Amino acid sequence: MTERISVAGSGAVYPVSALCAGVALWWALTALGDIPPFLLPAPDAVVARLAGNPELYLVNALFTLEKVVYGGAIGIGAGIALAAFVAYVPWFRRAVYPYLVTVRVLPKLAIAPLLLIYLGTGMTTAIVFVALITFFPLVLNTAAGLDRTPTAHHDLLRSVDAGPIERILYVDVPYAIPDIFAGLKQSVTLAVVGAVVAEWVVADNGLGFLILMGSENVRPDVMLAALVVLLLVGLALYGIVVLVQRRVHERLGLETLD
Amino acid sequence: MIDLESVGVAFDEFTAVADVDLGIDDGEFVTVVGPSGCGKTTVLRAIGGLQEPTTGRVTIDGRSPSVAQEAGDVGFVFQQHTLLPWKSALENVVFLRKMADKPPDREGARALLETMGLDGFEDARPAALSGGMKQRVAIARAIHLGADVLLMDEPFGELDEITRDELGVEIRSLWRRERKTIVFVTHSVPEAVFLGDRCVVMCDRPGRIEATFDIDLPGPRDTESLGSGAFQEQVAAVRRTLHESYD
Repeated sequence: MTERISVAGSGAVYPVSALCAGVALWWALTALGDIPPFLLPAPDAVVARLAGNPELYLVNALFTLEKVVYGGAIGIGAGIALAAFVAYVPWFRRAVYPYLVTVRVLPKLAIAPLLLIYLGTGMTTAIVFVALITFFPLVLNTAAGLDRTPTAHHDLLRSVDAGPIERILYVDVPYAIPDIFAGLKQSVTLAVVGAVVAEWVVADNGLGFLILMGSENVRPDVMLAALVVLLLVGLALYGIVVLVQRRVHERLGLETLD
Repeated sequence: MIDLESVGVAFDEFTAVADVDLGIDDGEFVTVVGPSGCGKTTVLRAIGGLQEPTTGRVTIDGRSPSVAQEAGDVGFVFQQHTLLPWKSALENVVFLRKMADKPPDREGARALLETMGLDGFEDARPAALSGGMKQRVAIARAIHLGADVLLMDEPFGELDEITRDELGVEIRSLWRRERKTIVFVTHSVPEAVFLGDRCVVMCDRPGRIEATFDIDLPGPRDTESLGSGAFQEQVAAVRRTLHESYD
């Protein structure tokens, strides 16, 4: 056990050092360089901004998180549901799957202004946009995962007259788990991107809105402070998915590759 | 009693199996041997209800294969072990019985794994087992299902020869103990002769039964009998039939 901790510790030395070096470089640039603080504030100024008015950042982080959670839940749920249709309804797969693959090349961000016209400047637009952007990775990964069961397993279940529900629950879904998590990891990252973009377009509240306001008022310290919080939100969400993935993979005896 | 009455299977234009007549008594050990593509697997799948015959009919104890499936009377062992990678050996054995809606019997499954040389590996996942052990678990799973009929589709196809011989001896003694009806498909002539009391030889284009041999070997069958003169003669006879059909 001690050995594992020391290994983990030595593994963290490099990234932590790199982070410190990065912040030091940033600080040196502001202290020694000829950059005016209203263009690039020093790291301690950003920390001071955060510490000076934590409520502002916390409240807006919660607004952003709300969009991520509601939109993400809808997008992920819809993505898995549609993937099940793609995997198990042959005519539906043939009709829809080519478009699901094609739509991948469409930059989903470009849809946000359109949603603004259709849904207005409320929370709905942001939630729908986040749902839309998280939907695609889930649908494609899950559909591929549900296809992964070797055909001989299906023969085995047919030979004892087991029904499709049993087959899906006990065999297909566990086989699809790694792909579902791959989709979730992409989705959770995209959800934060989607929420910020929605906040730019809708301009109501949230960390994205704070960044937008900071930009209009030329306040890089506010923008950087909001970015730091945004980074923490994104990392926390991604971390939750990775933790759940580890637990599930452990139970299923699968290798966690990352 | 398994009964095939002029069974034919066609896929579009291609005739996989034509006009197969075969009767297998309860408790019989029948091997089906032939080259790749002769339709032996198709015949096995037709018996087990995984392939609907285009013509003719199959019955197991007078019932259609799908009715036998429903009753959990068809135990398949495939070339791939088809164990679920996230379940232990024991859980895999129990799983199929559960899927067949039969009451669970963990202790029975544990005892069975023990008699099959998997003592101490009950809780191991398939990834921790060798190829031979995985196939043992798959065989145990089919037996634990409680089916009267075991259908084996080249179950030793991916194993090395030494493991094949070992498992062959074991299958024979298992069959003597359990008194199941076994239909065993293989493309290995020695394996077919060693295992079967009756050996059905199939040929292709179209897939059909060329000949049937009653295999009579003196004494219990073990690795020693593989070297006996009687065994060699039977193997030679089956080979001759297979090659003659291509002349």
